[in-house]
Amino acid sequence: MDDFERDLSRLMRDTQQHTPYEPEHRQRLHAGIRSRRRSRLLWKAGGSAVAVAGLSVGLALLPSMLTRAQPADHRPQPATSPTPSQDGGPTSDSPDPSATPTEPESSPPATTTGGSTPPGGPSTTISPTPTATASESRTTSASPTPPPSPTPTTAPPSALEETQEPSASATE
Amino acid sequence: MEQVRADGFDEFVAARWSALLHVARLLTGGDRQRAEDLVQEALVKLWFAWPKVAEQAPEAYVRTVLVRMAARSAKRRWWGERPVDQLPDRADPGDVSSTVAERSRLEGALALLTPKQRAAVVLRYYEDLPEAQVAEALGCPVGTARSHASRGVARLRQILSDAVRPVG
Repeated sequence: MDDFERDLSRLMRDTQQHTPYEPEHRQRLHAGIRSRRRSRLLWKAGGSAVAVAGLSVGLALLPSMLTRAQPADHRPQPATSPTPSQDGGPTSDSPDPSATPTEPESSPPATTTGGSTPPGGPSTTISPTPTATASESRTTSASPTPPPSPTPTTAPPSALEETQEPSASATE
Repeated sequence: MEQVRADGFDEFVAARWSALLHVARLLTGGDRQRAEDLVQEALVKLWFAWPKVAEQAPEAYVRTVLVRMAARSAKRRWWGERPVDQLPDRADPGDVSSTVAERSRLEGALALLTPKQRAAVVLRYYEDLPEAQVAEALGCPVGTARSHASRGVARLRQILSDAVRPVG
């Protein structure tokens, strides 16, 4: 600190004028505190009012948004559900509702996995009327096929068992 | 609770009022009305922070608030002054003592600095704060605060060189 800085420091201190803290100052200060407190309360009240208004608008709009979303959710269901119900309707009643939703989705991978060794997998499963050819072609799956083999003797439910066989073999 | 708070606050304000007003006056370059407004605003802020600050360093809090408000208020263009028909009474030439002349010269020189330079000079040479605390009050790095102070002093040296030497 050089001379000038020392002089500057002393000058700043020497020029300090004593100003007493008078009652006017006190009143003015407390009036400022009160007005600030009031404005803070108003800000808080305004903020909470805005929050409540936003929440109520959101809650009012929520049901309408849900009702808009519902038709879009129902659209895919009619496209998938009627086709299996029409196929399985006349033959058997109870197994159809449980089997139909899963089978159209699970059967193609099951046939592909089962038919991966023979390239014409789906074609063989669609025409299983010669049961001997199916059992011969599937030597690996010969053990599961004998139990269903008595069932193909009853000729009418061929379509059902065609679809059930791969799923059974896949589960086993 | 509120009464205890008010008592402690009033004691602090009564003890430090004069010094705070002088700092504010230096920070505003001698504008007494602005200085009073700044002190009032800073003390109102202190009131709401009093429960947290009272046991620690209320003066440092007020000083920081004062410095930042002074820097911010220097950017304002209008202060709410309104024109009056009659000018207020001014001191007679005979009342001007050497102290008053020095103060007005110092305040006039300080008014020519930028707000940051003025704040750095006041905190460094009046409050005698170390550079780190000056930087903290200004809200800038220590190097920047040092730069503000040295530039401010260089400018003041240029302005006051004729005025300070005879006094010292």
